[in-house]
Amino acid sequence: MSKLISAALAVGLLAGTATAYADETVRFWYHFDNADNPMSELVAKFEKENPGIKIEAENIPWNSYYDNLYTSIVAGNAPDAAMVKMFAQPRLVEMGALEPIGDRIDAWDGKADLQDNLLNLTKASDGKSYYLPIQYVVLYLYYRQDMIEELGLEVPKTCDEFRDVAMKLTRDTDGDGQPDVYGFGFRGGKGGHDHWGSFVLSRNVDFSAGSLTSDAGVAGTQWVVDLFEKDKVFPPSAPNDGFKEVTGAFKAGKTAMTIHHIGSSNGMVEALGDAVSATPVPECGGGHWTSFGDESTAVFSTAENKDAAWKWISFLSTAGNNTEFNKATGQLPVTKTDSEGWTLHEKRFVDATVQSLPFANLLPNVPETSDFVNTVWPVNMQRALTGEITAEQMNAEIDKLYNP
Amino acid sequence: MLTMNEPADRLPGRAALARKVLPYALLSPAVLVTLAIVFFPMIQAAWMSLHDYILWKPKDFTFVGLKNFTAALQDEVFWISLRHTIIWIAVTIPAQLLLGLATALLLNQQFPWRPLARALIIIPWALPSVVIALMWVWIYDANYGILNEFMLRLGLIKASVPWLADPDTALYAIILTLTWQGFPFFAVMILAGLQSIPKSYYEAASLDGAGALRQFWHITLPGISGVLVTAVLLRTIWVANSIDVIYVMTGGGPGYATYTLPLYAFIKARTNLDFGYGSSLAVLFTLMLLGLVIVYLRRAGRSVN
Repeated sequence: MSKLISAALAVGLLAGTATAYADETVRFWYHFDNADNPMSELVAKFEKENPGIKIEAENIPWNSYYDNLYTSIVAGNAPDAAMVKMFAQPRLVEMGALEPIGDRIDAWDGKADLQDNLLNLTKASDGKSYYLPIQYVVLYLYYRQDMIEELGLEVPKTCDEFRDVAMKLTRDTDGDGQPDVYGFGFRGGKGGHDHWGSFVLSRNVDFSAGSLTSDAGVAGTQWVVDLFEKDKVFPPSAPNDGFKEVTGAFKAGKTAMTIHHIGSSNGMVEALGDAVSATPVPECGGGHWTSFGDESTAVFSTAENKDAAWKWISFLSTAGNNTEFNKATGQLPVTKTDSEGWTLHEKRFVDATVQSLPFANLLPNVPETSDFVNTVWPVNMQRALTGEITAEQMNAEIDKLYNP
Repeated sequence: MLTMNEPADRLPGRAALARKVLPYALLSPAVLVTLAIVFFPMIQAAWMSLHDYILWKPKDFTFVGLKNFTAALQDEVFWISLRHTIIWIAVTIPAQLLLGLATALLLNQQFPWRPLARALIIIPWALPSVVIALMWVWIYDANYGILNEFMLRLGLIKASVPWLADPDTALYAIILTLTWQGFPFFAVMILAGLQSIPKSYYEAASLDGAGALRQFWHITLPGISGVLVTAVLLRTIWVANSIDVIYVMTGGGPGYATYTLPLYAFIKARTNLDFGYGSSLAVLFTLMLLGLVIVYLRRAGRSVN
């Protein structure tokens, strides 16, 4: 027993001294869907350029990324730097977990090469900068060009047109009395608030008190519920469907339209070729809203080597390296240099993204948004879709979350 | 001279002390580990349940007494989850038990390839829950699932049923999955029980003219009752607490249709980061389960004796 303890102590001491000498280690958390690890090349390049700094990059599964991040912070075991999204920023700031990096960004050579407005979008509500943008996407409407042409339809520009087209695209192709193709693949599970947002938040509705519960707000949610219950243009599994199901059904030809971003375009083209195209989401109730998909990196306040951590994250947002990073994630680079020569996605998807930028929005920069995204929206949308609650009750629940 | 039978207090000082201390020393590693990884977190959860503790507000750890508990009792989702938990236990355990009993009786017969059949039957139990859950998600899939295809071809249903997306079927679909996963446990336990019943009992009974049904009722059932009581108790506790299959298959959805109490506690704590409220749900559920176990042991224990 005592031998064991002394052995453990010895190992602990050794480990302690080891980290003490190699004190330029940066622990970095990220999430890639891509199973083969493309981070290793960037790490190798960085370590070659910055001798003495070692990067320990860890790919954390997306489904529990933030659960793990928050718990690690409370447990005092946070990474030194990590990939982070805007919706998590208010909580991370509240926890005191982030290191302000405004001064470092100002002094950084790469600042001028960042796309306009990105630094403003990622600024915290206290006016400080904690995030350095690393990639972005904008959600748009995917549609089956071939099916639209086959039926002699027009690509929908408004919600009314969208409903009409979706109903016509929902058809029984093999004559068994069952629809084989559904007009729209709606994401009723976690993450589907982007779909709902395009149909509801476009109607000059927001999260301020009484806005969602207004006639326009309720009409928006009711319109979504009716698409499912009355018009039956979503697959029956829509209430539970997540990213995997929605993109899978679209690629398999089970749905004719869906909403996602450029990150899935290469996979879509691989499955469908020229039959798939994209356009901005429809305009509903006189307004236009789509979701801006942000991704930044941040340095954590508990990082032992903040300089090294900053060097690493700024390296990732520098022209050239940012292309390599986005090759792995399939999203769009944040530097002007990389954007100009961008050839990794087909032009029609880049065009749809750029056309959508003027009305792309982030969800409110408040702590409640995490609960909205993770539980309140999915649970209430599912209950509304399955008829357990009304559209009005659903909007009231969201209103209650943001305006208690 | 010392003999083994001599009482410890007559031994010379050091040897006596060693003999007294030895059992505790041998036990202590197990006790310490249990204290550290079971008892301490339990106390911690109970302590947290009396506080307002939201993970992203780490500075705010205010004692609020029983506020979380009264809030839970007024929470609609608590009652929905409790109802689902009761259905969850009350359907799964009898279903697993009956299926396991039937399987064990079959496997206790003589037939060729019996060892192979016994080995195969354990597969659902040996598979990781996540694998089982994903497998059944595909079986139930509304677009490609084999269950819909099968039932459509047999003409049992007219249109594909979204088993997991329909609040009326989702919970029962998961219960079926869990029944499939858990029945081998009962089968194996009962089979062991069956084999400990001496053959001579059956011979004597058939000489006395008892039929198969009477033999089952008067010999087999009493013979395996001890095993049954233990197996049901263990399975009840496991099934009640099991959230992995639900979490992977539906995550509790659609809406609250597949929320059980442990899952609700987990989502409150881990996703909403409300550890105070989540802990109070966990504590409440532990107390209820404890009550159930005590009642069960009293009644079942008495009937076995």
